[in-house]
Amino acid sequence: MNDFPAMQNLARWLLADEAAVANTPEATVQVAVCIRVCEKLRRPLSTLTGVDGYRALISRALALSKADVPSLASMRVMADGSLESPDPVGQERDVDETRKGGASLVAQLLGLLVAFIGEALTMQLVRDVWPDAPVTGTDSNTEKL
Amino acid sequence: MKKQDKVSIRKLPTGVPGLDEIMGGGLPEYSFNIIAGSPGCGKTTFAHQFVFANATPEHPALYFTVLGEPAMKMLRYQQQYAFFDHVKLNSSIRFINLSRIVLKNDLDAVLAEITKEVEAAGPGIVVVDSFRTVVRKAQGGTSETDLQGFVQRLALHLTSWQATTFLLGEYSDVEIRDNPVFTVADGLFWLYQSVERNSIVRKLQIMKLRGQASVPGLHTFRITDAGLQAFPRTLGLTGRKEKKAVRSRLSTGIAELDKMMGGGVPEGDSILVAGPSESGKSVLATQFIADGLRHGEPAIAAVFEERPQEYATRAKDFGLDLETPQKDGKLNILYLRPLDLSVDETMQEILDAVQRIGAKRLVIDSLAGFEMALAPGFRADFRESLYRMMGALTGIGVTILSTVETTESLGVSPFSSYSISFLTDDIIRLRYVEIEGQIRTILTVIKMRGGKHSRDIREYDITDDGIVIIGPRIKGYRALTSGLPVPLDQTGQKEPPPAKPTGKK
Repeated sequence: MNDFPAMQNLARWLLADEAAVANTPEATVQVAVCIRVCEKLRRPLSTLTGVDGYRALISRALALSKADVPSLASMRVMADGSLESPDPVGQERDVDETRKGGASLVAQLLGLLVAFIGEALTMQLVRDVWPDAPVTGTDSNTEKL
Repeated sequence: MKKQDKVSIRKLPTGVPGLDEIMGGGLPEYSFNIIAGSPGCGKTTFAHQFVFANATPEHPALYFTVLGEPAMKMLRYQQQYAFFDHVKLNSSIRFINLSRIVLKNDLDAVLAEITKEVEAAGPGIVVVDSFRTVVRKAQGGTSETDLQGFVQRLALHLTSWQATTFLLGEYSDVEIRDNPVFTVADGLFWLYQSVERNSIVRKLQIMKLRGQASVPGLHTFRITDAGLQAFPRTLGLTGRKEKKAVRSRLSTGIAELDKMMGGGVPEGDSILVAGPSESGKSVLATQFIADGLRHGEPAIAAVFEERPQEYATRAKDFGLDLETPQKDGKLNILYLRPLDLSVDETMQEILDAVQRIGAKRLVIDSLAGFEMALAPGFRADFRESLYRMMGALTGIGVTILSTVETTESLGVSPFSSYSISFLTDDIIRLRYVEIEGQIRTILTVIKMRGGKHSRDIREYDITDDGIVIIGPRIKGYRALTSGLPVPLDQTGQKEPPPAKPTGKK
């Protein structure tokens, strides 16, 4: 991956931006925000690559993230490419762990896009959804985090 | 019907250099077109070039991808081309994947989806890549009538919504007849690529283009980092000017040779310097270039057998400075990449260079190297192509000096293996002869289409400094041109009187 730390910064910015409007209960906020970010990316990417194309991308991103963040183990990719994350039975979600998992998944998805179509096109796709997103991941600030 | 009463069809630039000229000015707006050809022949790149050249936020392009190359890969590879402008993505160019609809539904659903997107976006351009996969998938349970109806409705809808459309597909030549897609299309562009021995030869043909006169025949094209570039086979000939009745004479840089040619080379002529290996053809060519530069005439040297630096270094050894004029933009030494060129693209490069620096003189050194630089498939057409090229260049007032190596042995005097003397206005012949136990060199002006010239056979020598010294007429021998002359005193013949200059007045 070209510049994974930059993608992680950008992923954290996107998650923070969504968290600000999500208004979701604290216990599930991080998972919901992650799903919401991916859902926003799913629409334009499915148009671009087809449902199957997007599903392949998000599945790959999830597989890469699961290797780093075990808390993502319960997350699944549905037939249309959307994500589902049932609460783990008998376990409390760790907020920090889920935050880390969300950032990892979004960063991996962005990283795949950068690897395939380059940073310029990736950023253009991101900024079509989040017009205020920093131009590159490296210049994202952490005020919202 | 008066011209002013006819509908004016706007012509859109294709974005492919050279192709607008072949099309007769550009692609008709709102036309419904097919780009056909085998995989890898450049269909998608052609469509992308058109899209990037014409799509705007007000009149965007919708690029429907179907079961062929996924959009992600398409973007990955197409962005390598110089014409790709990522800023246009989504604002001016939108990619829409139709794979799932094509796989799961019938043609009506495909038409409905395209219609929905077109009506929502109001595009100026629509591309379906690959349309062949749409049809192939549908053909399983679809009659030919249904297919024709689908294509007809698609064309009608897209044209009514003022979109210029391209359907891309892998078709073979045998499918042209009876295919409803081709019947409905306003424009049919066929791209070919074939392997000729070790080279790829790419050609395109406009098989159909309603509403305007395109240039018929096959035109070569190349795919580079800049995308497709087409080379019209008529390039330059259509606007050819007649040569002036009274033309100035250009010096060859060798005063004695100028005298033999009746005062120099008529401006706008094509001269051939023919001779065996190491006989000094390139020296004459370099002198010709250098003399023009001394008189402020920009020049082009198209070299095929050595690189520009080597060419300039060799000239320097002869005391001719080709470095400074190159820096000053007065000389362009073109090294045309060997082995897979077409004459048309060589010609385009030379024409571009001529126009860029306003060249008056051109050296092609050598024709043998030129022929070797061509893809094998083009070599069969070498003479015909050369004829077009020389006609085009001399037509714009360029004086051309070409060199050609003759394969000769002493006692035999073949003129030229290329049989191209008919292409040239003037011919200078160099030759080895054996005299008194030495190999010497002789020079003759064989032909001057534009005037009188000397008929003398002159011995010449090239000094280490590159100076061509032309001696007096060789006397006392016969059969000099055979390479094995016989002293006249051994034959009993007398020395003939000097011949009068020959040629047209």
